[in-house]
Amino acid sequence: MAFLPKFDKFNRLISGWFEWVGLAGLLMMMLITCVDVIGAKLFRTPILGAIDIVMLSQVVAISFAAASALILGRHVCAEFFMVMLPKRVQAVIDGIICLLGLALFILIVWRLCTYGYSFQTGGEESATARIPLYPFAYGVALAGIPVCLVFLYQFFKAIERMVKK
Amino acid sequence: MSPVTTGIVGIALLLLLFLLRMPIAFAMSLVGLVGFAYLADPGAALSLLAHDIFEQFSSYPLSVIPMFILMGSFAFASGISRRLFDTTYTWVGQIRGGLTIATVIACAGFAAICGSTAATAATMGKIALPEMKKRGYDDKLATGTIAAAGTLGILIPPSTVLIVYGILTEESIGKLFIAGVLPGLLLSLSYVATVVLICMRNPRLGPPGERTGWGMKLRATGGIIEAFILFLLTIGGLFLGWFSPTQAGAIGAGGALLIGLGRRQLSWKKFFEAAKDGLRTACMVIFIITGAVIFGHFMAVSTIPFALADWIGQLPLPPMAVMGVIILIFFMGGFFMDSMALIVVTIPIFFPIVMKLGFDPIWFGVIVVLVAEMGVITPPVGVNVFVIKGIAPDIPLHSIFRGILPFLAALLIITGMLMAFPQIATFLPSLISY
Repeated sequence: MAFLPKFDKFNRLISGWFEWVGLAGLLMMMLITCVDVIGAKLFRTPILGAIDIVMLSQVVAISFAAASALILGRHVCAEFFMVMLPKRVQAVIDGIICLLGLALFILIVWRLCTYGYSFQTGGEESATARIPLYPFAYGVALAGIPVCLVFLYQFFKAIERMVKK
Repeated sequence: MSPVTTGIVGIALLLLLFLLRMPIAFAMSLVGLVGFAYLADPGAALSLLAHDIFEQFSSYPLSVIPMFILMGSFAFASGISRRLFDTTYTWVGQIRGGLTIATVIACAGFAAICGSTAATAATMGKIALPEMKKRGYDDKLATGTIAAAGTLGILIPPSTVLIVYGILTEESIGKLFIAGVLPGLLLSLSYVATVVLICMRNPRLGPPGERTGWGMKLRATGGIIEAFILFLLTIGGLFLGWFSPTQAGAIGAGGALLIGLGRRQLSWKKFFEAAKDGLRTACMVIFIITGAVIFGHFMAVSTIPFALADWIGQLPLPPMAVMGVIILIFFMGGFFMDSMALIVVTIPIFFPIVMKLGFDPIWFGVIVVLVAEMGVITPPVGVNVFVIKGIAPDIPLHSIFRGILPFLAALLIITGMLMAFPQIATFLPSLISY
Protein backbone atom coordinates (compact mmCIF):
# COMPACT_ATOMS: atom_id res chain seq x y z
CA MET A 1 0.00 0.00 0.00
CA ALA A 2 2.30 2.67 -1.30
CA PHE A 3 -0.22 5.48 -0.87
CA LEU A 4 -0.38 5.08 2.93
CA PRO A 5 2.53 7.38 3.89
CA LYS A 6 1.08 10.13 1.67
CA PHE A 7 -2.39 9.57 3.14
CA ASP A 8 -0.92 9.80 6.67
CA LYS A 9 0.96 13.01 5.78
CA PHE A 10 -2.22 14.51 4.33
CA ASN A 11 -4.21 13.59 7.48
CA ARG A 12 -1.59 15.08 9.77
CA LEU A 13 -1.53 18.27 7.73
CA ILE A 14 -5.33 18.69 7.74
CA SER A 15 -5.64 17.73 11.42
CA GLY A 16 -2.83 20.17 12.26
CA TRP A 17 -4.68 23.03 10.53
CA PHE A 18 -7.92 22.09 12.26
CA GLU A 19 -6.11 22.00 15.60
CA TRP A 20 -4.97 25.60 15.10
CA VAL A 21 -8.63 26.56 14.62
CA GLY A 22 -9.48 24.67 17.83
CA LEU A 23 -6.63 26.43 19.63
CA ALA A 24 -8.00 29.80 18.56
CA GLY A 25 -11.36 28.74 20.05
CA LEU A 26 -9.74 27.71 23.35
CA LEU A 27 -7.73 30.92 23.69
CA MET A 28 -10.85 32.92 22.80
CA MET A 29 -12.68 31.20 25.69
CA MET A 30 -9.96 32.25 28.13
CA LEU A 31 -9.60 35.76 26.77
CA ILE A 32 -13.33 36.57 26.64
CA THR A 33 -13.90 35.19 30.15
CA CYS A 34 -10.97 37.16 31.61
CA VAL A 35 -12.01 40.41 29.88
CA ASP A 36 -15.62 39.86 30.95
CA VAL A 37 -14.65 39.25 34.61
CA ILE A 38 -12.29 42.23 34.74
CA GLY A 39 -14.80 44.42 32.94
CA ALA A 40 -17.66 43.35 35.21
CA LYS A 41 -15.78 43.47 38.53
CA LEU A 42 -13.61 46.54 38.02
CA PHE A 43 -15.46 48.71 35.51
CA ARG A 44 -19.02 47.39 35.84
CA THR A 45 -19.10 46.81 32.07
CA PRO A 46 -19.32 43.09 31.27
CA ILE A 47 -19.14 41.90 27.67
CA LEU A 48 -22.61 41.45 26.19
CA GLY A 49 -23.15 37.77 25.41
CA ALA A 50 -19.82 36.64 26.91
CA ILE A 51 -21.35 33.30 27.89
CA ASP A 52 -22.63 32.75 24.33
CA ILE A 53 -19.19 33.49 22.89
CA VAL A 54 -17.52 31.12 25.40
CA MET A 55 -20.02 28.35 24.61
CA LEU A 56 -19.60 28.67 20.84
CA SER A 57 -15.81 29.00 21.13
CA GLN A 58 -15.86 25.75 23.06
CA VAL A 59 -17.76 24.07 20.21
CA VAL A 60 -14.98 25.14 17.85
CA ALA A 61 -12.18 24.22 20.29
CA ILE A 62 -13.34 20.70 21.09
CA SER A 63 -14.59 19.61 17.66
CA PHE A 64 -11.60 20.90 15.70
CA ALA A 65 -9.10 19.23 18.07
CA ALA A 66 -10.69 15.77 17.78
CA ALA A 67 -8.71 14.51 14.77
CA SER A 68 -5.38 15.66 16.13
CA ALA A 69 -6.13 14.09 19.53
CA LEU A 70 -6.98 10.82 17.73
CA ILE A 71 -3.75 10.81 15.71
CA LEU A 72 -1.72 11.47 18.86
CA GLY A 73 -3.53 8.72 20.80
CA ARG A 74 -4.98 11.14 23.35
CA HIS A 75 -8.45 9.54 23.43
CA VAL A 76 -8.33 7.17 26.40
CA CYS A 77 -8.51 3.45 25.67
CA ALA A 78 -7.71 0.30 27.66
CA GLU A 79 -4.52 -1.32 26.36
CA PHE A 80 -3.90 -4.16 28.79
CA PHE A 81 -5.91 -6.90 27.04
CA MET A 82 -4.94 -6.31 23.41
CA VAL A 83 -1.20 -6.33 24.08
CA MET A 84 -1.52 -9.96 25.22
CA LEU A 85 -2.88 -11.09 21.83
CA PRO A 86 -0.80 -12.18 18.80
CA LYS A 87 0.10 -9.29 16.47
CA ARG A 88 -2.08 -10.53 13.59
CA VAL A 89 -5.14 -10.93 15.82
CA GLN A 90 -4.49 -7.42 17.14
CA ALA A 91 -4.43 -6.14 13.55
CA VAL A 92 -7.76 -7.85 12.70
CA ILE A 93 -9.44 -6.41 15.83
CA ASP A 94 -7.92 -2.96 15.22
CA GLY A 95 -9.35 -3.05 11.69
CA ILE A 96 -12.85 -3.87 12.98
CA ILE A 97 -12.64 -1.17 15.67
CA CYS A 98 -11.52 1.40 13.08
CA LEU A 99 -14.49 0.50 10.86
CA LEU A 100 -16.85 0.93 13.84
CA GLY A 101 -15.26 4.31 14.61
CA LEU A 102 -15.53 5.31 10.95
CA ALA A 103 -19.20 4.31 10.86
CA LEU A 104 -19.90 6.30 14.04
CA PHE A 105 -18.26 9.44 12.69
CA ILE A 106 -19.94 9.16 9.28
CA LEU A 107 -23.25 9.12 11.18
CA ILE A 108 -22.11 12.07 13.31
CA VAL A 109 -21.12 14.14 10.24
CA TRP A 110 -24.40 13.30 8.48
CA ARG A 111 -26.61 14.03 11.50
CA LEU A 112 -24.81 17.25 12.36
CA CYS A 113 -25.31 18.48 8.79
CA THR A 114 -29.03 17.76 9.21
CA TYR A 115 -28.98 19.41 12.65
CA GLY A 116 -27.23 22.48 11.22
CA TYR A 117 -29.80 22.67 8.41
CA SER A 118 -32.62 22.59 10.98
CA PHE A 119 -30.90 25.47 12.83
CA GLN A 120 -30.53 27.37 9.54
CA THR A 121 -34.13 26.97 8.46
CA GLY A 122 -35.44 27.58 11.98
CA GLY A 123 -33.30 30.71 12.43
CA GLU A 124 -31.85 29.43 15.74
CA GLU A 125 -29.64 31.94 17.57
CA SER A 126 -27.76 32.08 20.86
CA ALA A 127 -29.72 33.44 23.81
CA THR A 128 -28.02 36.78 24.47
CA ALA A 129 -25.68 37.79 21.66
CA ARG A 130 -28.11 36.47 18.98
CA ILE A 131 -25.31 34.65 17.13
CA PRO A 132 -26.67 32.24 14.47
CA LEU A 133 -26.01 28.65 15.58
CA TYR A 134 -26.07 26.86 12.25
CA PRO A 135 -22.47 27.67 11.18
CA PHE A 136 -21.25 26.04 14.39
CA ALA A 137 -23.27 22.85 13.84
CA TYR A 138 -21.89 22.70 10.27
CA GLY A 139 -18.45 23.36 11.79
CA VAL A 140 -18.71 20.32 14.07
CA ALA A 141 -19.77 18.24 11.04
CA LEU A 142 -16.81 19.57 9.06
CA ALA A 143 -14.43 18.80 11.95
CA GLY A 144 -15.69 15.20 11.91
CA ILE A 145 -14.40 14.64 8.35
CA PRO A 146 -10.67 14.47 9.28
CA VAL A 147 -11.62 12.06 12.10
CA CYS A 148 -13.22 9.81 9.46
CA LEU A 149 -10.06 10.08 7.35
CA VAL A 150 -7.87 9.15 10.34
CA PHE A 151 -10.03 6.09 11.04
CA LEU A 152 -9.84 5.16 7.34
CA TYR A 153 -6.05 5.46 7.39
CA GLN A 154 -5.84 3.37 10.56
CA PHE A 155 -8.09 0.75 8.92
CA PHE A 156 -5.75 0.49 5.91
CA LYS A 157 -2.79 0.37 8.28
CA ALA A 158 -4.43 -2.53 10.14
CA ILE A 159 -4.94 -4.39 6.82
CA GLU A 160 -1.28 -3.81 6.00
CA ARG A 161 -0.33 -5.31 9.37
CA MET A 162 -2.64 -8.29 8.69
CA VAL A 163 -1.08 -9.19 5.36
CA LYS A 164 2.51 -8.44 6.37
CA LYS A 165 4.70 -11.55 6.59
CA MET B 1 -35.59 -8.62 24.80
CA SER B 2 -36.79 -6.69 27.81
CA PRO B 3 -35.27 -3.23 28.39
CA VAL B 4 -33.25 -4.48 31.38
CA THR B 5 -31.84 -7.44 29.39
CA THR B 6 -30.99 -5.10 26.51
CA GLY B 7 -29.24 -2.81 28.99
CA ILE B 8 -27.18 -5.69 30.38
CA VAL B 9 -26.22 -6.79 26.84
CA GLY B 10 -25.28 -3.15 26.12
CA ILE B 11 -23.02 -2.95 29.18
CA ALA B 12 -21.37 -6.27 28.20
CA LEU B 13 -20.84 -4.96 24.65
CA LEU B 14 -19.37 -1.75 26.03
CA LEU B 15 -16.90 -3.68 28.18
CA LEU B 16 -15.99 -5.82 25.14
CA LEU B 17 -15.27 -2.70 23.07
CA PHE B 18 -13.15 -1.31 25.95
CA LEU B 19 -11.15 -4.55 25.96
CA LEU B 20 -10.72 -4.35 22.18
CA ARG B 21 -9.01 -0.93 22.52
CA MET B 22 -11.79 1.23 21.13
CA PRO B 23 -11.44 4.76 22.54
CA ILE B 24 -13.77 4.85 25.56
CA ALA B 25 -15.63 7.98 24.42
CA PHE B 26 -16.44 6.47 21.01
CA ALA B 27 -17.39 3.08 22.49
CA MET B 28 -19.93 4.71 24.84
CA SER B 29 -21.34 6.81 21.98
CA LEU B 30 -21.69 3.82 19.66
CA VAL B 31 -23.26 1.46 22.21
CA GLY B 32 -25.51 4.24 23.49
CA LEU B 33 -26.66 5.07 19.96
CA VAL B 34 -27.36 1.45 18.96
CA GLY B 35 -28.99 0.60 22.31
CA PHE B 36 -31.28 3.65 22.22
CA ALA B 37 -32.16 2.91 18.59
CA TYR B 38 -33.10 -0.66 19.56
CA LEU B 39 -35.18 0.26 22.61
CA ALA B 40 -36.75 3.48 21.34
CA ASP B 41 -36.58 4.42 17.67
CA PRO B 42 -33.65 4.60 15.19
CA GLY B 43 -34.72 8.03 13.92
CA ALA B 44 -34.96 9.41 17.45
CA ALA B 45 -31.55 7.89 18.31
CA LEU B 46 -29.88 9.60 15.32
CA SER B 47 -31.51 12.94 16.14
CA LEU B 48 -30.44 12.60 19.76
CA LEU B 49 -26.85 11.83 18.68
CA ALA B 50 -26.44 15.21 16.94
CA HIS B 51 -28.35 17.02 19.68
CA ASP B 52 -26.21 15.51 22.47
CA ILE B 53 -22.94 16.29 20.71
CA PHE B 54 -23.85 19.92 20.02
CA GLU B 55 -25.36 20.42 23.50
CA GLN B 56 -22.33 19.03 25.32
CA PHE B 57 -19.76 20.79 23.17
CA SER B 58 -21.59 24.09 23.71
CA SER B 59 -22.35 23.49 27.40
CA TYR B 60 -21.29 26.45 29.55
CA PRO B 61 -20.98 24.32 32.75
CA LEU B 62 -18.50 22.09 30.85
CA SER B 63 -16.35 25.08 29.91
CA VAL B 64 -14.85 24.91 33.40
CA ILE B 65 -12.91 21.82 32.24
CA PRO B 66 -10.84 23.40 29.43
CA MET B 67 -10.15 26.44 31.61
CA PHE B 68 -8.71 24.55 34.59
CA ILE B 69 -6.79 22.19 32.28
CA LEU B 70 -5.32 25.21 30.50
CA MET B 71 -4.37 26.71 33.86
CA GLY B 72 -2.41 23.54 34.73
CA SER B 73 -0.69 23.51 31.32
CA PHE B 74 0.38 27.15 31.61
CA ALA B 75 1.48 26.65 35.24
CA PHE B 76 3.72 23.80 34.09
CA ALA B 77 5.15 25.76 31.16
CA SER B 78 5.74 28.79 33.42
CA GLY B 79 8.20 26.87 35.59
CA ILE B 80 6.05 27.20 38.75
CA SER B 81 6.59 23.52 39.55
CA ARG B 82 10.39 23.90 39.44
CA ARG B 83 10.32 26.80 41.90
CA LEU B 84 7.91 24.91 44.19
CA PHE B 85 10.30 22.00 44.29
CA ASP B 86 13.38 24.19 44.89
CA THR B 87 11.65 25.93 47.79
CA THR B 88 10.45 22.78 49.51
CA TYR B 89 13.84 21.14 49.01
CA THR B 90 15.59 24.09 50.64
CA TRP B 91 13.31 23.69 53.66
CA VAL B 92 13.35 19.91 54.16
CA GLY B 93 16.22 18.62 51.99
CA GLN B 94 18.62 18.18 54.92
CA ILE B 95 16.56 15.50 56.67
CA ARG B 96 16.55 11.79 55.76
CA GLY B 97 14.37 11.25 52.70
CA GLY B 98 14.27 15.04 52.37
CA LEU B 99 14.14 15.01 48.58
CA THR B 100 11.12 12.70 48.55
CA ILE B 101 9.40 14.72 51.30
CA ALA B 102 10.10 17.88 49.28
CA THR B 103 8.55 16.14 46.25
CA VAL B 104 5.36 15.27 48.18
CA ILE B 105 4.98 18.85 49.46
CA ALA B 106 5.76 20.31 46.02
CA CYS B 107 3.19 17.93 44.47
CA ALA B 108 0.59 19.13 47.00
CA GLY B 109 1.48 22.71 46.10
CA PHE B 110 1.32 22.05 42.36
CA ALA B 111 -1.96 20.17 42.85
CA ALA B 112 -3.35 23.45 44.18
CA ILE B 113 -2.98 24.98 40.72
CA CYS B 114 -3.26 21.89 38.50
CA GLY B 115 -6.10 19.36 38.51
CA SER B 116 -4.50 16.37 36.83
CA THR B 117 -2.62 13.42 38.36
CA ALA B 118 -0.58 12.63 35.26
CA ALA B 119 0.45 16.28 34.82
CA THR B 120 1.48 16.54 38.48
CA ALA B 121 3.45 13.27 38.35
CA ALA B 122 5.07 14.15 35.01
CA THR B 123 5.99 17.65 36.15
CA MET B 124 7.54 16.59 39.43
CA GLY B 125 9.03 13.44 37.94
CA LYS B 126 11.02 15.44 35.41
CA ILE B 127 12.36 17.74 38.14
CA ALA B 128 12.79 15.47 41.16
CA LEU B 129 13.88 12.13 39.66
CA PRO B 130 17.23 13.33 38.25
CA GLU B 131 18.00 14.99 41.64
CA MET B 132 17.13 11.82 43.53
CA LYS B 133 19.28 9.71 41.22
CA LYS B 134 22.19 12.11 41.63
CA ARG B 135 21.97 11.86 45.41
CA GLY B 136 21.74 8.06 45.49
CA TYR B 137 18.08 7.67 46.44
CA ASP B 138 16.58 4.20 46.15
CA ASP B 139 14.77 3.76 42.80
CA LYS B 140 11.68 2.21 44.37
CA LEU B 141 11.32 4.98 46.96
CA ALA B 142 11.94 7.72 44.39
CA THR B 143 9.54 6.51 41.71
CA GLY B 144 6.90 5.26 44.17
CA THR B 145 6.81 8.64 45.91
CA ILE B 146 6.40 10.65 42.71
CA ALA B 147 3.72 8.34 41.25
CA ALA B 148 1.75 8.38 44.52
CA ALA B 149 2.19 12.09 45.29
CA GLY B 150 1.06 12.88 41.74
CA THR B 151 -2.37 11.57 42.71
CA LEU B 152 -2.83 14.61 44.95
CA GLY B 153 -3.53 16.47 41.69
CA ILE B 154 -7.13 15.24 41.60
CA LEU B 155 -7.90 15.64 45.31
CA ILE B 156 -6.53 19.06 46.22
CA PRO B 157 -8.57 21.69 44.32
CA PRO B 158 -8.80 22.37 41.44
CA SER B 159 -9.53 18.80 40.37
CA THR B 160 -10.71 17.69 36.93
CA VAL B 161 -12.23 14.51 38.39
CA LEU B 162 -14.23 16.48 40.99
CA ILE B 163 -15.39 18.88 38.24
CA VAL B 164 -16.64 15.98 36.12
CA TYR B 165 -18.26 14.36 39.17
CA GLY B 166 -19.97 17.67 39.97
CA ILE B 167 -21.25 18.00 36.40
CA LEU B 168 -22.55 14.41 36.29
CA THR B 169 -24.29 14.61 39.67
CA GLU B 170 -25.28 18.30 39.51
CA GLU B 171 -23.46 18.99 42.79
CA SER B 172 -21.75 22.32 43.55
CA ILE B 173 -18.20 22.33 42.16
CA GLY B 174 -17.24 24.91 44.82
CA LYS B 175 -18.38 22.59 47.61
CA LEU B 176 -16.63 19.61 46.02
CA PHE B 177 -13.40 21.60 45.72
CA ILE B 178 -13.46 22.70 49.36
CA ALA B 179 -14.36 19.15 50.44
CA GLY B 180 -11.09 17.94 48.90
CA VAL B 181 -8.90 20.31 50.94
CA LEU B 182 -8.73 18.51 54.32
CA PRO B 183 -8.50 14.97 52.87
CA GLY B 184 -5.82 16.29 50.47
CA LEU B 185 -3.77 17.75 53.31
CA LEU B 186 -4.26 14.59 55.37
CA LEU B 187 -3.16 12.42 52.46
CA SER B 188 -0.09 14.63 51.88
CA LEU B 189 0.82 14.25 55.55
CA SER B 190 0.33 10.49 55.39
CA TYR B 191 2.67 10.31 52.36
CA VAL B 192 5.30 12.35 54.26
CA ALA B 193 4.88 10.02 57.26
CA THR B 194 5.29 7.02 54.94
CA VAL B 195 8.60 8.41 53.61
CA VAL B 196 9.82 9.17 57.16
CA LEU B 197 8.97 5.63 58.31
CA ILE B 198 10.69 4.03 55.29
CA CYS B 199 13.83 6.11 55.82
CA MET B 200 13.84 5.42 59.58
CA ARG B 201 13.86 1.68 58.86
CA ASN B 202 16.57 1.97 56.23
CA PRO B 203 18.38 5.35 56.18
CA ARG B 204 20.40 4.40 53.08
CA LEU B 205 17.26 4.58 50.94
CA GLY B 206 17.03 8.38 51.27
CA PRO B 207 20.29 10.06 52.28
CA PRO B 208 20.00 13.63 53.63
CA GLY B 209 21.14 16.64 51.57
CA GLU B 210 23.25 19.64 52.57
CA ARG B 211 22.18 21.88 55.44
CA THR B 212 20.62 25.20 54.53
CA GLY B 213 20.53 28.35 56.67
CA TRP B 214 17.43 30.38 57.54
CA GLY B 215 18.43 33.16 55.15
CA MET B 216 18.50 30.70 52.26
CA LYS B 217 15.20 29.17 53.33
CA LEU B 218 13.47 32.55 53.46
CA ARG B 219 14.92 33.63 50.12
CA ALA B 220 13.74 30.38 48.52
CA THR B 221 10.23 30.93 49.86
CA GLY B 222 9.91 33.91 47.53
CA GLY B 223 9.79 31.41 44.68
CA ILE B 224 6.36 30.08 45.67
CA ILE B 225 4.60 33.36 46.41
CA GLU B 226 3.23 33.54 42.85
CA ALA B 227 1.77 30.00 43.07
CA PHE B 228 0.22 30.89 46.42
CA ILE B 229 -1.32 34.08 45.01
CA LEU B 230 -2.63 32.18 41.97
CA PHE B 231 -4.26 29.59 44.23
CA LEU B 232 -5.74 32.26 46.51
CA LEU B 233 -7.08 34.21 43.54
CA THR B 234 -8.73 31.30 41.73
CA ILE B 235 -9.86 28.90 44.43
CA GLY B 236 -10.31 31.67 47.03
CA GLY B 237 -12.29 33.72 44.50
CA LEU B 238 -14.44 30.69 43.76
CA PHE B 239 -15.17 30.03 47.46
CA LEU B 240 -15.90 33.68 48.16
CA GLY B 241 -18.35 33.79 45.28
CA TRP B 242 -16.36 36.30 43.22
CA PHE B 243 -16.13 33.96 40.24
CA SER B 244 -18.11 31.14 38.70
CA PRO B 245 -16.01 27.94 38.25
CA THR B 246 -15.38 28.77 34.56
CA GLN B 247 -14.32 32.31 35.43
CA ALA B 248 -12.02 31.02 38.18
CA GLY B 249 -10.37 28.65 35.71
CA ALA B 250 -9.97 31.34 33.05
CA ILE B 251 -8.52 33.83 35.56
CA GLY B 252 -6.17 31.07 36.77
CA ALA B 253 -5.08 30.27 33.20
CA GLY B 254 -4.56 33.98 32.49
CA GLY B 255 -2.66 34.37 35.77
CA ALA B 256 -0.37 31.39 35.05
CA LEU B 257 0.26 32.84 31.60
CA LEU B 258 1.17 36.24 33.07
CA ILE B 259 3.52 34.57 35.60
CA GLY B 260 5.27 32.76 32.74
CA LEU B 261 5.61 35.99 30.78
CA GLY B 262 6.76 37.97 33.84
CA ARG B 263 9.37 35.31 34.67
CA ARG B 264 10.45 35.17 31.00
CA GLN B 265 9.82 31.41 31.02
CA LEU B 266 7.33 31.32 28.14
CA SER B 267 8.61 31.48 24.59
CA TRP B 268 6.04 31.42 21.77
CA LYS B 269 6.93 27.76 21.20
CA LYS B 270 6.36 26.81 24.84
CA PHE B 271 3.15 28.82 24.92
CA PHE B 272 1.66 27.05 21.90
CA GLU B 273 2.87 23.64 23.06
CA ALA B 274 1.26 24.15 26.48
CA ALA B 275 -1.98 25.45 24.97
CA LYS B 276 -2.18 22.60 22.43
CA ASP B 277 -1.52 20.04 25.17
CA GLY B 278 -4.32 21.54 27.26
CA LEU B 279 -6.63 21.56 24.22
CA ARG B 280 -6.04 17.86 23.48
CA THR B 281 -6.68 16.88 27.10
CA ALA B 282 -9.85 19.01 27.26
CA CYS B 283 -11.00 17.48 23.97
CA MET B 284 -10.51 13.97 25.36
CA VAL B 285 -12.41 14.74 28.60
CA ILE B 286 -15.36 16.46 26.88
CA PHE B 287 -15.63 13.63 24.31
CA ILE B 288 -15.80 11.13 27.21
CA ILE B 289 -18.54 13.15 28.91
CA THR B 290 -20.46 13.40 25.62
CA GLY B 291 -20.12 9.64 25.16
CA ALA B 292 -21.39 9.14 28.71
CA VAL B 293 -24.42 11.36 28.04
CA ILE B 294 -25.29 9.35 24.90
CA PHE B 295 -24.77 6.09 26.81
CA GLY B 296 -26.77 7.56 29.71
CA HIS B 297 -29.86 7.98 27.48
CA PHE B 298 -29.64 4.29 26.62
CA MET B 299 -29.25 3.38 30.31
CA ALA B 300 -32.25 5.54 31.17
CA VAL B 301 -34.56 3.80 28.66
CA SER B 302 -33.20 0.41 29.76
CA THR B 303 -34.26 1.36 33.36
CA ILE B 304 -31.16 -0.43 34.73
CA PRO B 305 -29.97 2.30 37.17
CA PHE B 306 -33.42 2.52 38.76
CA ALA B 307 -33.90 -1.27 38.89
CA LEU B 308 -30.43 -1.63 40.43
CA ALA B 309 -31.10 1.12 42.97
CA ASP B 310 -34.40 -0.55 43.95
CA TRP B 311 -32.80 -3.98 44.21
CA ILE B 312 -29.87 -2.79 46.33
CA GLY B 313 -32.20 -0.68 48.46
CA GLN B 314 -34.15 -3.83 49.34
CA LEU B 315 -31.07 -5.90 50.22
CA PRO B 316 -30.88 -6.82 53.93
CA LEU B 317 -27.49 -5.11 54.22
CA PRO B 318 -26.47 -2.05 56.24
CA PRO B 319 -25.81 1.01 53.98
CA MET B 320 -22.09 1.02 54.86
CA ALA B 321 -21.75 -2.59 53.62
CA VAL B 322 -23.36 -1.59 50.30
CA MET B 323 -21.01 1.40 50.16
CA GLY B 324 -18.10 -0.99 50.79
CA VAL B 325 -19.21 -3.09 47.80
CA ILE B 326 -19.50 0.03 45.60
CA ILE B 327 -16.02 1.15 46.65
CA LEU B 328 -14.68 -2.34 45.93
CA ILE B 329 -16.21 -2.18 42.42
CA PHE B 330 -14.58 1.23 41.85
CA PHE B 331 -11.28 -0.11 43.21
CA MET B 332 -11.37 -3.18 40.93
CA GLY B 333 -12.50 -1.06 37.98
CA GLY B 334 -9.54 1.25 38.58
CA PHE B 335 -7.22 -1.66 37.83
CA PHE B 336 -8.45 -1.76 34.24
CA MET B 337 -9.81 1.69 33.39
CA ASP B 338 -8.64 5.27 33.38
CA SER B 339 -10.00 7.08 36.46
CA MET B 340 -11.93 9.67 34.45
CA ALA B 341 -13.54 7.05 32.22
CA LEU B 342 -14.37 4.86 35.22
CA ILE B 343 -16.15 7.69 36.97
CA VAL B 344 -18.04 8.78 33.87
CA VAL B 345 -19.26 5.23 33.21
CA THR B 346 -20.11 4.22 36.77
CA ILE B 347 -21.41 7.37 38.46
CA PRO B 348 -24.72 7.47 36.53
CA ILE B 349 -25.32 3.85 37.61
CA PHE B 350 -24.20 4.08 41.25
CA PHE B 351 -25.15 7.63 42.18
CA PRO B 352 -28.92 6.89 42.50
CA ILE B 353 -28.06 4.02 44.87
CA VAL B 354 -25.82 6.24 46.97
CA MET B 355 -28.59 8.83 47.21
CA LYS B 356 -31.18 6.19 48.07
CA LEU B 357 -28.98 4.93 50.90
CA GLY B 358 -28.78 8.46 52.31
CA PHE B 359 -25.07 9.18 51.88
CA ASP B 360 -23.78 12.72 51.46
CA PRO B 361 -23.09 13.29 47.72
CA ILE B 362 -20.13 15.61 48.43
CA TRP B 363 -18.54 13.02 50.74
CA PHE B 364 -19.13 10.32 48.12
CA GLY B 365 -17.39 12.53 45.52
CA VAL B 366 -14.27 12.69 47.69
CA ILE B 367 -14.40 8.93 48.33
CA VAL B 368 -14.68 8.31 44.58
CA VAL B 369 -11.62 10.50 43.96
CA LEU B 370 -9.61 8.63 46.61
CA VAL B 371 -10.49 5.30 44.99
CA ALA B 372 -9.72 6.75 41.56
CA GLU B 373 -6.31 7.74 42.96
CA MET B 374 -5.68 4.09 43.79
CA GLY B 375 -6.55 3.24 40.18
CA VAL B 376 -3.88 5.54 38.75
CA ILE B 377 -1.09 3.83 40.71
CA THR B 378 -2.14 0.17 40.50
CA PRO B 379 -1.42 -2.26 37.63
CA PRO B 380 -2.14 -2.85 34.82
CA VAL B 381 -3.53 0.61 33.89
CA GLY B 382 -1.75 2.79 36.46
CA VAL B 383 -1.40 5.97 34.40
CA ASN B 384 1.02 7.63 36.81
CA VAL B 385 3.25 4.58 36.80
CA PHE B 386 3.55 4.75 33.01
CA VAL B 387 4.23 8.47 33.22
CA ILE B 388 7.13 7.79 35.61
CA LYS B 389 8.30 4.88 33.47
CA GLY B 390 8.41 7.27 30.51
CA ILE B 391 10.63 9.65 32.47
CA ALA B 392 12.86 6.89 33.88
CA PRO B 393 12.91 4.10 31.25
CA ASP B 394 15.82 2.36 32.98
CA ILE B 395 13.76 1.58 36.11
CA PRO B 396 11.68 -1.63 35.70
CA LEU B 397 7.90 -1.34 36.01
CA HIS B 398 7.78 -3.88 38.83
CA SER B 399 10.17 -1.73 40.87
CA ILE B 400 7.89 1.28 40.48
CA PHE B 401 4.83 -0.79 41.48
CA ARG B 402 6.70 -2.18 44.51
CA GLY B 403 7.72 1.34 45.48
CA ILE B 404 4.08 2.40 45.39
CA LEU B 405 2.83 -0.29 47.83
CA PRO B 406 3.54 1.64 51.10
CA PHE B 407 1.80 4.71 49.64
CA LEU B 408 -1.16 2.60 48.55
CA ALA B 409 -1.43 1.45 52.17
CA ALA B 410 -1.47 5.10 53.28
CA LEU B 411 -4.19 5.83 50.72
CA LEU B 412 -6.29 2.92 52.01
CA ILE B 413 -5.89 4.15 55.60
CA ILE B 414 -7.05 7.66 54.65
CA THR B 415 -10.02 6.21 52.74
CA GLY B 416 -10.92 4.15 55.84
CA MET B 417 -10.63 7.27 58.02
CA LEU B 418 -12.90 9.18 55.67
CA MET B 419 -15.49 6.40 55.83
CA ALA B 420 -15.31 6.35 59.63
CA PHE B 421 -15.28 10.16 59.95
CA PRO B 422 -17.15 11.68 56.97
CA GLN B 423 -16.81 15.08 58.65
CA ILE B 424 -13.24 15.26 57.31
CA ALA B 425 -14.81 15.90 53.90
CA THR B 426 -18.13 17.47 54.87
CA PHE B 427 -17.02 19.98 57.52
CA LEU B 428 -15.60 22.68 55.22
CA PRO B 429 -18.44 22.46 52.63
CA SER B 430 -20.94 22.91 55.47
CA LEU B 431 -19.43 26.36 56.06
CA ILE B 432 -20.30 27.64 52.57
CA SER B 433 -23.84 28.18 51.43
CA TYR B 434 -23.82 27.72 47.64
